[in-house]
Amino acid sequence: MGDTLIIPGRYDRIQQACQFVAAGAAQAGLDDTAVFHVELACDEACTNVIEHAYGAEDVGQIRLSWEVQAGRFVITIHDNGRSFDPDEVPVPIPEDVANGTSDFPRVGGLGVHFMRKLMDEVRYQFEDDGNTLVLVKVIE
Amino acid sequence: MAIQQESLHGDVWLVRADGRLDQSQTPLLETALNQLLDDGRTVLIVDLSQASYINSGGLRCLVSAWRRAKQQDGDVLLCGLNDRLQEVFTMVGFDKVFQIHPTLIAAQRAVKKGK
Repeated sequence: MGDTLIIPGRYDRIQQACQFVAAGAAQAGLDDTAVFHVELACDEACTNVIEHAYGAEDVGQIRLSWEVQAGRFVITIHDNGRSFDPDEVPVPIPEDVANGTSDFPRVGGLGVHFMRKLMDEVRYQFEDDGNTLVLVKVIE
Repeated sequence: MAIQQESLHGDVWLVRADGRLDQSQTPLLETALNQLLDDGRTVLIVDLSQASYINSGGLRCLVSAWRRAKQQDGDVLLCGLNDRLQEVFTMVGFDKVFQIHPTLIAAQRAVKKGK
């Protein structure tokens, strides 16, 4: 069980990517809440590709695929942009946002935080042919 | 996505955002909030009861407006979040940054009380 989709790196195509993985997640047996988590994580991942790996819209494509592996829903997202380390983006601390000492929203950092909160596993690989992000949700 | 604006009593403005607050739709909301803040409207209630989805870009937009309003002694209050939206705000702790009210009436009461 699995499928692949390639979209141009544009914000207005991210919803299509989200619907693609959400449909796969539902087919794999994830419940509504888990499907929503998968959709949001995919949204943040594709947004990061456009913002950080490609640096702008219409620079390159995003290839998404999903499969079920031993009770796990596995999404692989690949781009040909420059490598970036998501862990270097600081996560905003709510108290600092509230008292004005955080750089958020200028710097961002929420997307990676969302992915880690929403998924059971998040892995990045940076190779010569681009970046590969693997997102895993356990099927309960 | 549709954005509607309405003047309420006491120079409070209501902004209704429908649909998906994602990277392609949020700029509409951002423009509306910035226009109101540019015009000196610093107490804004954002009604999200018809919003079905929000991502980090949507949150960023709301925090930017909240910060601008606070700098001008105003506020941006939120109301009508569905369970999904509430989960997203709670997940990142922004339920502690914003005043979030279940209904528009409750948000309006809170504004009156704060004056």
